[in-house]
Amino acid sequence: MPATNLLQGTLDLLILKALALTEMHGLAISHRIAQITNGTFRVKPGSLFPALHRMEEAGWLASAWGDSENNRRAKYYRLTAAGRRQLQAETRQWETIAVAMASALRAN
Amino acid sequence: MLLLSRLASLRRNLFTRPRVERDLDDELHAYLDQLTEEKRAAGMGAAEARRIARIELGGLEQVKEEVRQVRTGQMLEELLQDLRYGMRTLRKNPAFTVVALLALALGIGANTAMFSVAYGILLRPLPYANADRVAVVFMRYFPRDFAFGTMCMRDYLMWKENNRAFEDPSLFTSRRMDIGGKEGAPEQVQGASVTAGFFSTLEVRPLIGRAFAAGEDQPTTGALAVIGESIWRRRFAANTGVLGQSILVNGAPATVIGVMPGVFQFPQRQTEVWTNLLLNPPTRYGPWFYRGVARLKPGVTLPQAQAELNNIGLRMMQQNSFYKRLTLPVLGLRDALLGVTLKPAILVLAGAVGLVLLIAVVNVANLMLARATVREREMALRLSLGAGRGRLVRQLLTESVLLALMGGAAGLALAWGGIALVRAWNPGNLPLIDSVRLDAGALGFMLFVSMLTGVLFGLAPALESARADLNSTIKEGGRASAASQARGRTRAALVVCEIAVSLTLLVGAGLLLRSFANLQRVTGGFSAPPRQILTMLISPGDRKYKDARAGLAFYDEVLRRARNVPGVETAAVTDSLPPDRQGDADTFAIEGQPLAPGEINPIISDVTVSPDFFQTLGIPLIKGRYFTAHDTQDLAPVAIVSEGFVRRFLPNQDALGKRIRQSGPGFGNNWMQIVGVVGNVKYLGLTVDTDPAYYMPLAQSYGLRLYLAVRCSGDAARLADTLRRKIQSIDPGVTLAQIGAMDQSLAWSVSQPRFDTMLLSLFAGIALLLAAVGIYGLIAYSVAQRTHEIGVRMALGAARADVVRMVVRQGASLAALGIVLGLGGAFALTRLLKTLLFGIGATDALTFAAAPVGSMLVVLLATFVPALRATRISPVVALRYE
Repeated sequence: MPATNLLQGTLDLLILKALALTEMHGLAISHRIAQITNGTFRVKPGSLFPALHRMEEAGWLASAWGDSENNRRAKYYRLTAAGRRQLQAETRQWETIAVAMASALRAN
Repeated sequence: MLLLSRLASLRRNLFTRPRVERDLDDELHAYLDQLTEEKRAAGMGAAEARRIARIELGGLEQVKEEVRQVRTGQMLEELLQDLRYGMRTLRKNPAFTVVALLALALGIGANTAMFSVAYGILLRPLPYANADRVAVVFMRYFPRDFAFGTMCMRDYLMWKENNRAFEDPSLFTSRRMDIGGKEGAPEQVQGASVTAGFFSTLEVRPLIGRAFAAGEDQPTTGALAVIGESIWRRRFAANTGVLGQSILVNGAPATVIGVMPGVFQFPQRQTEVWTNLLLNPPTRYGPWFYRGVARLKPGVTLPQAQAELNNIGLRMMQQNSFYKRLTLPVLGLRDALLGVTLKPAILVLAGAVGLVLLIAVVNVANLMLARATVREREMALRLSLGAGRGRLVRQLLTESVLLALMGGAAGLALAWGGIALVRAWNPGNLPLIDSVRLDAGALGFMLFVSMLTGVLFGLAPALESARADLNSTIKEGGRASAASQARGRTRAALVVCEIAVSLTLLVGAGLLLRSFANLQRVTGGFSAPPRQILTMLISPGDRKYKDARAGLAFYDEVLRRARNVPGVETAAVTDSLPPDRQGDADTFAIEGQPLAPGEINPIISDVTVSPDFFQTLGIPLIKGRYFTAHDTQDLAPVAIVSEGFVRRFLPNQDALGKRIRQSGPGFGNNWMQIVGVVGNVKYLGLTVDTDPAYYMPLAQSYGLRLYLAVRCSGDAARLADTLRRKIQSIDPGVTLAQIGAMDQSLAWSVSQPRFDTMLLSLFAGIALLLAAVGIYGLIAYSVAQRTHEIGVRMALGAARADVVRMVVRQGASLAALGIVLGLGGAFALTRLLKTLLFGIGATDALTFAAAPVGSMLVVLLATFVPALRATRISPVVALRYE
């Protein structure tokens, strides 16, 4: 799958999932997504940052400046309560779709 | 919660934008640094790590732009940006902005004002309930022959008896009334006598008290009065105690029963007192003072009512051989209030102002097209720098709408001022002027039209250049591209249209101006300078002066006192005054000149005058003598006839010595000997050309209310107060009204044609100005475009005159085309003016010759300026250009 051609909904879900355990800065989020998808999705900054800002404005994410692991300033994102609810809702929706798609593709 | 987050973002994005931007910049740089760090940690050199990191980021500014695109309020932000940019562009091109705004403001302002006037007068519902079902019934018959004349009581009774079409026909007549004498000083007001059903027909409710009840027009009823709100406030301090009070109307007591609201202005705008008209059984035909007013029964149309009235008219003629060619014309209430000439005039003016808007819109379109060509390069450059096409289009749209809104605001101010002026001043003496107000609908429509123009003509070329081949546009550097050549042709066509339309208006205005000049040349038949004649209407009061002997003594005293005022040369009293205050009118017989059986002479003005009347106004004596103080009651009755009378009724005969008498029903065998022939005077308005009259001396034909006419050695208006005091001191019961100099009466009598002429000339002037600006813009622009070519020509030896000729020829050929088209349009449209013209035809050759010449001159002048500018082009500079 071409890494640039992420569906918006997929990207949102991946970002929410990536942030589910802990707050992270932008670079860490893209690494985390690559990691949890076994390198299938490599999110470029041109997609990542618009998505982060959009989701923050929607109230799913909150951000704050903090110090990174090697003592540089970086902007950290974390899930809000609304973001958590959104993660659950989108996860359920995605699972339904995945099951449906899998069954559709297996059919003769 | 989520909504709050959105709103917080919106606030942040809009109001703390620099911080938001800095934050984004910091975030991306931090990301870049982290990425670089990572690469270095993986073993790259510092410079290489940085380079790879940058490549992976994919362009800092592009990422920022992507983030900006998702921000809440982005649309709003862009709109504000566009507005700011639009304002800047407008400010940077003041000539364009001023001309476009002026065109829009004039077009929108004039149209909104004119349509508000038209709507108020022609369409706004009258302040009477269901007024569209109310009709006014007139009577036209020979010998009187007034198109919308009056009937007598007998005619009314006959109409009422045979009526099926209307509910309860009512009768009314307007008359001057003297009010007071018992409570407060007496004054003359406009009044009306009406039958009992009058108010209920018009469905108007009194402010306080009641209107006339059914049966209150029967002869046994006492005298009652309904008064208007204005007189109630003026004379009775708005006191409700006025109800039941007895007031004097024409010297006789009448009981006030109600007060009508100020919006009720019928039969006349100035009517302030309505008395109950008593239907005493008439013993004979006449006097013909009355009109009918009635409400159509449900389901009956006006034409059906007219058909019924036609039948009733036939029966009236059968019963009374005095009537010839009798009809009972019926008009809807509004048409009756407006009169017959106003409606076509208003429609013509509304059409004319619509053409002005058309020209204004075309002008703006032209400016937009010119600007699109100039901006072709800017657009191409912005596109190549990565601006989205949609974004460009949106920005141009914002600019157009901005321009239209600003033009609309200026137009609104103009319309508001114009309407306030028309209402306060009412220069056209328009009826229903009180229902004229600024109309939101009209303004909205005008604004819509102008916006549409801006959008269409601003956007179309923008879209076109957005599609254009960027490379060639930028390389050409603004020199004529194929698209701009096509636009040049469109602009030329638009200018031709402007010239054509403005010429049509110019011809229309020219016709009205010529017609008005004709009207101004009509003198009214008297040679005394109008500014030196003072006139006023005197009412000595009914009680004391009904008797001729007392009345004559009173008027003798009036004339004696008037003549003693320093500055007064002569003075006279009369019951009629030129140009349009006809007193009595009657038919007549000439002794020894029997008419064919059933024939009758027409009803013409019969004027009662004191001896010095002719000298005072300067009415020439053709033959015989004027009246003298010796033509008294005791001596043989005498008469003077007008020149027109002799020409029509005594052709090729010596009028002097012949005897005539008033011969209408009710007159005796009172033969009067003709002792003089005088020049024709107009008593029925300046536009009526045949108005024969006969005159009787006051002493032999006394009337109660008379006009005083005084000829002064200087400005008459200055003597008004002195004369008023002198006359009122004769008797405190005397009331004076309509005091003014004759020049005012003359001006007043042509106020409506003057109004039409003024407005149409104004519109034509604006149109011509806009057209001139249009062609100036076109030629100036084309000269600028051809700088290079003109430079080459001059380098090759063309003289300045050649260049001027070349440029002017371009303008002249467009003008010629526009003028040919405009003359065609004028020919087709000016016939609509026919009813408004006096003394010339709708295809007046002089106007049709002069207007194109004037139009051509203005156009040539407008092209001459850029032509001269072209000659100042230095070949060296022009060739080095670019």
